[in-house]
Amino acid sequence: MTAERPPAATTPGVRGAKRPSFFEHLHPPSIPEAQARFRYTLGLGGLSVFFLVMTAVTGALLLFYYEPSSARANASVQLLQYHVPFGWLVRGVHFWSAQALVVTAALHLLRVALTGGFRSGRRFNWLLGLSLFVLALGLDFTGYGLRWDASIGWALLIGTNLLRLVPLAGGTLYRWLVGSAELGEATVLRLFGWHVFGLMLPALGLAVWHLFRVRRDGGIATDTAAPRLPRRELVRREILAMLLAAATLLGLTTLAGPGLAGPLEPSSLSLEAHAPWFFLAIQELLRLGNPLWFGVILPLAVVLLLAAIPYAIDRGARLGRWFPRDGRLVQVIVLGLALGIGWLTLRGALR
Amino acid sequence: MTAWSRSLFVAALVLLGAVALVGVRGQASAFSAYGSRTPVALVPSLTGQPEYCLTCHGGIEEISAAHPTDVFGCVRCHGGQPLALDAETAHAGLRGGRNPSDFAVVEVSCGGEDCHGGPADQALDHIHRSEVSLQSTYAGPIAAVRQAFGAQNNKRAHYAIAAIEDRQITSETGLPFLEALLPVAASEPPQVRMLAERCLACHLGGPAVDQPGYQRLTGCAACHAVTNWQGTYTGGDETIAGEESGHAAIHRLTTVIPYTQCDTCHNRGNYSLVDMSFHARTDLPADGNASRLQAYYQPIARFTACEYQLDCIDCHPSGEVMGDGDLHSQMDEVRALECRTCHGTPTQGPQTREIAKPDDPALRQARLNPASDLQVGDTVVVTARGDTLWNVRRLLGGTFQLTAKGTGKTYAVPQVTGSGCEQDPANQASSACHECHAVDRP
Repeated sequence: MTAERPPAATTPGVRGAKRPSFFEHLHPPSIPEAQARFRYTLGLGGLSVFFLVMTAVTGALLLFYYEPSSARANASVQLLQYHVPFGWLVRGVHFWSAQALVVTAALHLLRVALTGGFRSGRRFNWLLGLSLFVLALGLDFTGYGLRWDASIGWALLIGTNLLRLVPLAGGTLYRWLVGSAELGEATVLRLFGWHVFGLMLPALGLAVWHLFRVRRDGGIATDTAAPRLPRRELVRREILAMLLAAATLLGLTTLAGPGLAGPLEPSSLSLEAHAPWFFLAIQELLRLGNPLWFGVILPLAVVLLLAAIPYAIDRGARLGRWFPRDGRLVQVIVLGLALGIGWLTLRGALR
Repeated sequence: MTAWSRSLFVAALVLLGAVALVGVRGQASAFSAYGSRTPVALVPSLTGQPEYCLTCHGGIEEISAAHPTDVFGCVRCHGGQPLALDAETAHAGLRGGRNPSDFAVVEVSCGGEDCHGGPADQALDHIHRSEVSLQSTYAGPIAAVRQAFGAQNNKRAHYAIAAIEDRQITSETGLPFLEALLPVAASEPPQVRMLAERCLACHLGGPAVDQPGYQRLTGCAACHAVTNWQGTYTGGDETIAGEESGHAAIHRLTTVIPYTQCDTCHNRGNYSLVDMSFHARTDLPADGNASRLQAYYQPIARFTACEYQLDCIDCHPSGEVMGDGDLHSQMDEVRALECRTCHGTPTQGPQTREIAKPDDPALRQARLNPASDLQVGDTVVVTARGDTLWNVRRLLGGTFQLTAKGTGKTYAVPQVTGSGCEQDPANQASSACHECHAVDRP
């Protein structure tokens, strides 16, 4: 692709001059050519946006059928899965884009950490991004619970019981999520409320804020005055990425859908405990010892450590390249965390 | 063509391919995992919720004319997952396994105010009656054995298979509650302990002995779903058909219960108080092909013609078999059927009543039976306790006629009055009638 000169800036208010539309404003007028390469961004931020939009759109469609009560939740998912024309497709795309979102968001976080993208006035946006990632995990977990089938029982029981262990606020948090003293009638409605409102609304808000900050900060971070590409080029690449990502989602959905078993009976869980893949690392940690330390404090500490990176750990300034020399400490920390979480997840998956 | 157009073209092509893939998958839809069969959707009018059960169970019989499939569907009674298309998921949460009328789940499956858990005065309390009946509590034999071995000094029942209470007593002999025998068996005489250990399986709630001839289901279906000698299913549903025992012969509930069904529990042998065990009859052919007379009566028994020519249900009314809704100590307390119920006494004809209203419970029962043409205005026989024998009618000339419930065959019922019979109206034990009317084994 050839570099094009950025378009001449139009003077605001001049008659006849073409002013950028709302959609054009979503992108910065130009982006640095070197950092706009796929091998630098891996397209992860853009893909995350795409997957978020896809989950929101398919989620809205699911709302037309889902019935948030313990008696009807599983039956309504079955209705959607087996009876509603292309219901399996909508549910499958919702599932796969949600899983893809967690993956791309995690890798995006990693990419930004390993390229120092959180530096130079972008510290706060790192926090927004980190919050978005935590919200995505919460959305994935609550969405998994909304299935309300026999396969989710243990994950739901263990996941919600971890909340109880949170010092001071545990009992209250548990009641907020579960709705009663134990999993039961109210739980589906609570999960539903958190999923489509309590977590989704902040996630959408933070996503817009996060994108606004990226846009405000001039797009992809760079510290050189290297050649720049016009926003048209960015849009083109985004279109290509979206087409391919959409094809991937459809392909995945066609080949393998989210599972669905018979309805959950919280009082009689099956003997086997299966965690969803994004929960496997926590499950493995829980095997190590005290659930308060390994299930609550350690994961929270990881999040706090990540949050502290731009404020208390990193002192470097270089931008726009992989593994900047002045960011070794952060690189070691995040790669260590990534390897640790990856290893725990793999161990849990192979069990 | 620019690089951008080329890339766009390729990406669009890839997406188109994926959409085509979705289209192909859409043809097979959710059912691709289910071979080539197209799902058969049934939307029963009672629930309005689609069910796919008939996709696999296509050949299955309609359960009964009173429960039409297009009204009830399958899930209203059986539970399970109406839309799942693999057996494991579809059968998750089936009530009572294959038998939703098992007493553990019957209230959910068959109960409800408008169904079989309704009020007694509308004769809709079938579940309650069955659960407190002697066939469920086994209170009679328990009390008799306890009395025989000195644990109690009369026939009043105190114990049952399981603890049970009855909050609404309607008869003089009704009991408020019975305790479970097993928990206290350790402190009982040895014979009662043996009874508790060996014999408490013999009741409607317990599974049948898995041997030919004893095959029956549990709960309501123990009587109302007819089983064959081997307990195999021989109906039109290919997924159930096979050699496996423990099935009803076909998927059908009936009130026309043949004597063979009663005989899965009754007339199978003798209970010995000497060794506190059951001794199976040895005079029955092993393949189950006994004649009705042979199946009914052991060699030393005496009987009249009507006693072996008719089905059990032709004479024993629902109020006896299913009970009257009270907990009782002995069968005698609910059994009012005597020879004079149909034949009268030297001075008096049978006790009768008129079917006065279209919603008469007896008329409702009669209409479930294809052999019956009972109508409002007909006069039918009642027992001393008031149980209606709707199949024994007074004809215009004052004679009586019994319609066999199973075959529809009619029998003139001979009357004692004016016959020269010298019966003592006070002695109505069948042995008294056998003195003159017993017949020889053909």
